[in-house]
Amino acid sequence: MREKKQRMAERDTGGSAGVATVAPQSSIFNQQSSIGSQVRLPFRTAFRISVQGIRIRLGRSLVTVSGVVLGIAFLMSNLTGQLIKNGVAAKREARQQATLMAAMVRAEIGDVRDKNLAVLVCGTLRPYETELLSTIVAAKPAQLRGLGLTQEGVTPATPSTLGAGAGVLLVLGDAPSGAFALEELTQGMTQKVVLEAEAARTYAGKAALEAEASAVRRELFFGAQHEQQKARMAKEAQQAHARTLWIVVISLLVTVIGVSNALLMSVTERFREIGTMKCLGALSSFIRLLFLIESSLIGAAGSLMGVVAGAILPLLAYGFTYSFVTVLGSLPYGWLMLAGAGSAVVGTLLAVLAAIYPATIASRMLPASALRSTV
Amino acid sequence: MSNSDLFAAEGAADKHGYVIRAVDVKKVYRMGDSETHALRGATLDIHRGEYMSIMGPSGSGKSTFFNMVGGLDKPTSGKVYMDQVDIAQLDPYELAWLRCRKVGYIFQSFNLIQVMSCLENVTLPMSFAGMDDEEAREKALGILERVGLKDRALHKPAEMSGGQQQRVAIARALANTPDILLADEPTGNLDLRTGEEIINLFSQLRKELGVTIITATHDLKMLKASDRIVWIEDGLITRVTTADALDIQVQEIH
Repeated sequence: MREKKQRMAERDTGGSAGVATVAPQSSIFNQQSSIGSQVRLPFRTAFRISVQGIRIRLGRSLVTVSGVVLGIAFLMSNLTGQLIKNGVAAKREARQQATLMAAMVRAEIGDVRDKNLAVLVCGTLRPYETELLSTIVAAKPAQLRGLGLTQEGVTPATPSTLGAGAGVLLVLGDAPSGAFALEELTQGMTQKVVLEAEAARTYAGKAALEAEASAVRRELFFGAQHEQQKARMAKEAQQAHARTLWIVVISLLVTVIGVSNALLMSVTERFREIGTMKCLGALSSFIRLLFLIESSLIGAAGSLMGVVAGAILPLLAYGFTYSFVTVLGSLPYGWLMLAGAGSAVVGTLLAVLAAIYPATIASRMLPASALRSTV
Repeated sequence: MSNSDLFAAEGAADKHGYVIRAVDVKKVYRMGDSETHALRGATLDIHRGEYMSIMGPSGSGKSTFFNMVGGLDKPTSGKVYMDQVDIAQLDPYELAWLRCRKVGYIFQSFNLIQVMSCLENVTLPMSFAGMDDEEAREKALGILERVGLKDRALHKPAEMSGGQQQRVAIARALANTPDILLADEPTGNLDLRTGEEIINLFSQLRKELGVTIITATHDLKMLKASDRIVWIEDGLITRVTTADALDIQVQEIH
């Protein structure tokens, strides 16, 4: 590298017509005329300068931070609100469904008190089914025999003893097929009535036709109308979700533009400082690093505050609307943590994204701009 | 090429050689359709260890020439050699290396980084050069002691007087023991007495370290302290005089 540069220098000197005064090349001179390549990017120095820069311009930095806080708090409060609503709504819906199902049971056998009931659980229970079972247990039946579940107030039974003397057999759970034959399960029932939570469920043993022949009546808890209503509600929820998403995206964009604008101002304000650093041997990438670090610190601080604010505010709001016990009891904390971490990461990344343009402008500043004496 | 005959050949036999050679440097700034010829062919050799002042009215191309000589700008045509290396051939990384180690810059308005202490200001170029922190600290304290500010090393620039700030700036310029000190009106923002202190400091540094000092200045005391004075007018070097020759003129004016 060094030789190449010297050769170039010599050739160029020789090539310039009319210049007779080629410098005499003493040995001392040659030793000194090697040019290296600046590669150092002292990250620690950059970090220190950025932190000091934020501290010195604390007022403006706080304004920038508050922009991030607002954007991220909005994002986080939406997520938290959604989680709370889901929790509370799921609980309420489960109670509604359970009431509906209990009414079906009563329609079949009258009051549950002192009656015999049988329950078969395929797979795992859904929330409203759990709710139903506790409602039934609370109504004090003579005996509630169960297969596939262990719960207080439920007497365990085998497939052959499950049905004996029971007024109705409830089939619950989310598995698409049962491991036993309906015929076997309904043995000993006076009226072979099966209340079914899953329309499409299939059973082992002989075909359904034969089961029908053996006078098993299979009824569904939920009719087609109920399914339609559920689908409509899901669609409405989806639309509301899309609207919220749009507003959140817009607010985050505003945050990005705000941070970008603040940093651009900071860059134009610091042109002389940047030029000076370049005169002292800073690479363009060092200047860029400086602004990226500053912005990521601002973003991280703002995001953390935003996450805390965005989690607490909806908790208070919903807590006063429903009750704090309901809200705190039904909140999925794992998801809340995940939403918080996600929002913080998003905020920091957006702040860095916002810094790319100002940092590029800063890194392109000429070292000679340090010489401009006008303030 | 009368310019080069007159001024470039001076001291050709100097055993130390030239630290900077500018050969027929032209610089044209284009703004839309109009062209501004800031420099119209300036040729000058600067000797190692020389104390040179550049004079000229504003708009004369003085700043442009100053920037070229200091490796801050590249000429439109002509060549600038720093230690025989054509700076127009250097890539940004090599230019940064050059600015970091070969040249120390001193500014009219000091340009200390306000958020850093004096010590940090002086160690900054060292960390750019890859020196480890402890070593840089020791060296910076040594240089600050040399400019008489060791006891104020941990102060922020804002807490210091203009003269003190300029001395910190000089210490910072000396951080990587450069060959050349490039000072743009270093006494411009200082009162007469502190200005004189700075000039004395320059003279001492030159004597002790053998560093080449190039200044752009209007300060008569500064001119008197320098070896050669270069006059730039209308994009051309019109005169090169010694300080003695200038002295006579100053007397005539008064």
